[in-house]
Amino acid sequence: MSDAVKEVGERLIAFLPNLRRFAISLCRTRDIADDLVQAACERALASAERFEPGTRFDAWMFRILRNLWIDQVRRQKTAGVQDDISERHDIAGASGDREAEARLTLKTVADAIDHLPDEQREVLLLVCVEELSYREAADVLDVPIGTVMSRLARARKSLAEATGITGATGRSQVMKGVNE
Amino acid sequence: MTRADFSDDILMRFADGELDAETSAEIERAMETDDELVSRVGLFIETRQAAKAAMQSLLDEPLPAELEAAVGRMVAEKTSAQSAPSASVLAFPRRAANDRRASRWLVAAASLAAVFAGLGGYWLGGRGEPPSGGALPLAAVSSPALAEALATVASGEERQLLASNQRFRAIATFRDSAQALCREFELDSADRSTVVSVACRAGSEWRVTFAVAAPGGSGGYAPASSTETLDAYLTAIDAGPPLEAGEEAKALADLREVRQ
Repeated sequence: MSDAVKEVGERLIAFLPNLRRFAISLCRTRDIADDLVQAACERALASAERFEPGTRFDAWMFRILRNLWIDQVRRQKTAGVQDDISERHDIAGASGDREAEARLTLKTVADAIDHLPDEQREVLLLVCVEELSYREAADVLDVPIGTVMSRLARARKSLAEATGITGATGRSQVMKGVNE
Repeated sequence: MTRADFSDDILMRFADGELDAETSAEIERAMETDDELVSRVGLFIETRQAAKAAMQSLLDEPLPAELEAAVGRMVAEKTSAQSAPSASVLAFPRRAANDRRASRWLVAAASLAAVFAGLGGYWLGGRGEPPSGGALPLAAVSSPALAEALATVASGEERQLLASNQRFRAIATFRDSAQALCREFELDSADRSTVVSVACRAGSEWRVTFAVAAPGGSGGYAPASSTETLDAYLTAIDAGPPLEAGEEAKALADLREVRQ
């Protein structure tokens, strides 16, 4: 029993940067994200026995964190204290220069990700950034695999349009990407 | 067959390494002669790489010292507490008083007393007798208005309870380890106090299994301390994840059907 807590504890600390990155992309503001990470760690330690060895620790943690976030959003929504999170865009950082530049040129990738609908952003993060499989992402998000795929495809389409990615890098590049 | 029509779905799965070896080989062969196919695949690969690269800076950011310290403390506390084997998962409501986290529950118990006093027997039908062991009384929901709200109000919505000055707010629906349907909700009273509560189905009625009163003047929503207690409770009963809106609607509809 103490092994489970010990193991979760050790992995938790090593995993903090990734957990925080996912949290920031969910709440898009660092203060709230840090509180959320802390709450998720507490929850994970309290239920360490429920982590099944051999399954992905990162997926388990993302799921705990995301469920806490959903609860929190519901509370805020119903309590009328929502201090419009959708207006905050913290992923790309608050660089005035970059904002000015974005008006002239295409958006940076970070900006484009920041502006995706929540449900697309989270699936893009889980699959493309955190490298979860579709199945694992579906489990984290509690949705069918088909939903993961359609959200993911839409996310990439908007991302490509917003940033000017065309996919025309040539065959050798693409094959390299496939084999990575 | 080099001119097979590969759907975007298939190509995305290919780019993400989710495709079986046979189909993957087929696509690779087709790509040798089909530039358009190459660029369609390229779009998925490039967006993946671009997303990963763009989010790298967040990973490289130094962790806030407070966060790192807080989690480190938490881990240290938990691992040292583990020497006492009873410190794993707290069952509610009965558990030895020498558990080091018992103090948390005493707070909950005290608040619970306040809840029942405050509601003036509102939830206490004739069945509020405490279970053996002198632990907390688990009350059946005797108010038809509350039972109705529990069975109908979707999570995220709120409603004024009929014939009372209380506002009911549904937070989430989930199943406990025995698969009983449970709802987390909050009740605001006229004195601005808020009760954070969980009720689960037991036979044909709702039973309140958890309640904490948040002091008045908290502005209509539960402060963090009471939700922490709730979190600990949800962990203890092995609560499943919140149901999606569709699942919840179905579970509640089933409930209403059974009741007829």
